[in-house]
Amino acid sequence: MAFIEIKNVFKTYAEIAGISTLALNGVTLNIEKGDFAAIAGPSGSGKTTLLNIIGALDKPTTGQIYYEGADITNISINRLADFRLHQIGFVFQAYNLINVLTALENVEYIMLLQNRPCEERTRRATELLARVGLADFMHRRPSQMSGGQQQRVAVARAIAARPKVVLADEPTANLDSKTAGELLDLMKELNKEKGVTFLFSTHDKMVMDKADKIFHVKDGSIIN
Amino acid sequence: MKTFAKIAWRNITRNKSRSLITISAIAIGLGALIFVRAFVDGADIQMIQNYTDLISGQLQIHADGFQKKMGLERNIPDPAKIASELSATPGIIASSKKIKNYVLVSSTEQSSGVLLIGIDPQKERAVTTLHKHIRKGEFLSEGKDDQIILGKDLLEILNVGIGDKVVIMAQGADGSLASGAYRVCGALDTGAEEIDKGMAIITLAAAGKLFVLEDRVSEFTIRAGDVYKLDDISRRLKDKFNGRNFEILTWKDISPILAQTIEFDKVFFDLLLAIFVLVVSIGILNTILMSVLERTREFGIMLALGTKGKQIVLMVALESIFLGFIGTVFGLILGIISALYLGWHGIDLSIFGKVFEGWYIGSIVYPRLFFRNMLLSSSIVLIISTIAALYPAWKAASLKPVDAIRHFN
Repeated sequence: MAFIEIKNVFKTYAEIAGISTLALNGVTLNIEKGDFAAIAGPSGSGKTTLLNIIGALDKPTTGQIYYEGADITNISINRLADFRLHQIGFVFQAYNLINVLTALENVEYIMLLQNRPCEERTRRATELLARVGLADFMHRRPSQMSGGQQQRVAVARAIAARPKVVLADEPTANLDSKTAGELLDLMKELNKEKGVTFLFSTHDKMVMDKADKIFHVKDGSIIN
Repeated sequence: MKTFAKIAWRNITRNKSRSLITISAIAIGLGALIFVRAFVDGADIQMIQNYTDLISGQLQIHADGFQKKMGLERNIPDPAKIASELSATPGIIASSKKIKNYVLVSSTEQSSGVLLIGIDPQKERAVTTLHKHIRKGEFLSEGKDDQIILGKDLLEILNVGIGDKVVIMAQGADGSLASGAYRVCGALDTGAEEIDKGMAIITLAAAGKLFVLEDRVSEFTIRAGDVYKLDDISRRLKDKFNGRNFEILTWKDISPILAQTIEFDKVFFDLLLAIFVLVVSIGILNTILMSVLERTREFGIMLALGTKGKQIVLMVALESIFLGFIGTVFGLILGIISALYLGWHGIDLSIFGKVFEGWYIGSIVYPRLFFRNMLLSSSIVLIISTIAALYPAWKAASLKPVDAIRHFN
């Protein structure tokens, strides 16, 4: 049994003029615990759609998603929110954070949603921010940090929830190559250190080079 | 809850000018509403006070049916006993006896049908302000039973002046023809046309003699102080005189037109309140909706992370409640300060001529603040700031995270 199993997933978007678009065309793939994997492909290939479906943000038109053998395809929207909260960490392309909260509060926020005690929240958020190199930036708001620093906060927040997997949708897209490299190194270290599974969507060669496993997507299908 | 409140609060400070405009709109609106209500209440109280002070008193006691059909046969026997019962009733400051009937008053040139009132000149001073409205001549004095006061317009109609003689003709209580000659001692100028044109006043003793009423009177006029306690006192009197065929009237029964005017003021204020509610709701709705729309992506991220719809609703509602609350605090300060200041100094309305005087308001209005009205207006602001947030909150909570996180402003 694979850690995350995607079985024959199709996704069709209904268009206004009655023409529908096939975004995923029977995708099947397995992700194992501890993977540092990438879904790679050009723009419009369906990689973000696939990542959203794996992240329980979207539902497939047909097909199944299994997490450790449990089918999550048909669970209700409310339970999906709970599932995401406890099982999945997210790092989005940019503007990931809640603008009115400081770095520390942003990392604490996810643990607050999980009803973790206040002391544990502060302790863990402080540790994680120090771990991602932001010990001196804890009380800054997103607008007072660079793009790279904001993505580090997002990574710290994703891990703070103790998820089974961290899904990152083109996390380096808005960063310069040096900052992007540093962010990837950080995620790789966390993958090794804490055994967190990472799955990226990307068309960045640097990300693909660092990934242990790459799923190439083209026109909604896995081609490797 | 604390974190959601923190986020809500910081979102208010995020766009300071927009929040300030909304808060100012609420504050100015509520302040104006409280002030207008205090002004209307002040004017109403003055209207009741001046009307009842002038001649009617705040409460009246008659024989049953007198109010509907005035007549000498509807009279109060043994008034001395009633007077002592009234003076023993808590809440009553003073009372006076009156005899009232319609008569014909004639000069050598003209005649006019008027309401003749017999008063006790001494006691009347404690109950009404008739004595303060003598423009020419003087008020009646005890024992001078051949004197009469006529309204200033009536003097003109009859073409008589101070010191001239007029003749009163009427029917006595015993059915006989009653008539008497009196010398005009004063001109009554109240500003109210129906009084200045249609009223004559003689002493109670003279009226008793004229109408052959002996000891009996038509009315007890009562002064009780606070107009808002009249219903209580009226109830007390009804209990006391139960079974004795008396009617006990408050100013509302005495002057239904005045009561209707005051009722109209209340409806007018309710209408203002409704307009205010509508404007404030739209203002708050607009602010919150704008603030929600420009944070679509942020809400998307919150929802993607696992924030529940009800938590988003709470956050947005708190934002609106905070705006409403701050606006209410400033509105209360604004309304209270303006109403208290002008309640102390008065608002001079004499530039509008005698319009307000004719309505018994007087030329200077003193706004009066009532706690219950402030509470009502403030609660309404807080309630609408919650309700106005519901639509934007629902809109934010029902965003699809997958679409919302791709939203760029």
